Amino acid sequence: MDVMTQLQRQWREHTAYLRKEGYLDDQFEQLQKLQDENSPDFVAEVVSIFFDDSEKLLNNMARALEQKVVDFKQVDAHVHQFKGSSASIGAMRVKNLCIEFRNHCEAQSLEECVRCLRKLQYEYSVLKNQLEYLFRLEQQIRAAGV
Amino acid sequence: MGAAVDHVNPMGMSGGSAEGNDKSEGQRFSCKSKLTALVVDNGGVCRAIQTALLRSYGVDTQAVETGEAAVELIASGATFNLIIIEMLLPFMNGPETAKQIRAMGAQSKILGITGFFDERDQQEFLAAGADDFIEKPLSPEIVIPIIRELDN
Repeated sequence: MDVMTQLQRQWREHTAYLRKEGYLDDQFEQLQKLQDENSPDFVAEVVSIFFDDSEKLLNNMARALEQKVVDFKQVDAHVHQFKGSSASIGAMRVKNLCIEFRNHCEAQSLEECVRCLRKLQYEYSVLKNQLEYLFRLEQQIRAAGV
Repeated sequence: MGAAVDHVNPMGMSGGSAEGNDKSEGQRFSCKSKLTALVVDNGGVCRAIQTALLRSYGVDTQAVETGEAAVELIASGATFNLIIIEMLLPFMNGPETAKQIRAMGAQSKILGITGFFDERDQQEFLAAGADDFIEKPLSPEIVIPIIRELDN
């Protein structure tokens, strides 16, 4: 099997795995459809913005939860934005954790919020690794196709 | 012989619905008239995705980060067929932004959008002059009927 075919198979299998395990949903496919000759790196660019924004939001949530008097409305606002962005790129697991997190914010339960934040940080970092691997494969495929 | 490679999409993804904008199928829904849109969202991800989706249908689209910026743009004379506004904007929120836009006499279709659907938010947005209110993500299923309506 030549390198190209092997790489393409890995890409296919990895994408299928991410879908099957619920890391990504249909919305990610919508993003891929928006990639074309005019914006050949669209998905990678948007995901890169997602990484930057997510890291800021997670930091903001952590800091908000460390305050002597926790402003749950503020935490909720960060969760709201994170849910919107994760839903928009198709990051299903992250999105679902945001839904859970919101419930804890509404209940004003600090302990549950902190626990949920840790889960969210974990899921986010797993997703980040998975997507970075996917993009590395794409780069290799492009390089092999030249 | 290696398989043909679409350098844009490594796997030459296809199989999208005719309503989507899957360029690899050559099927492309596009607006007939010259339509313009404004995306108002404090998040970079949503701004980028919503803008790209609208542009893929031929809609001339701009994006701003705040309600204040949107109001300023329209006050300066810019007009838009469609304005999509996030609910939870910092400072001036979505409904307040919609209210001010309507107060300036704008006839645009205003779509309120949110990370978490909430009936109270929906009521607030509609009362402020929005035509509709949906939960993210913005999808072809939502956008295409709107564009068709604006085209006629």
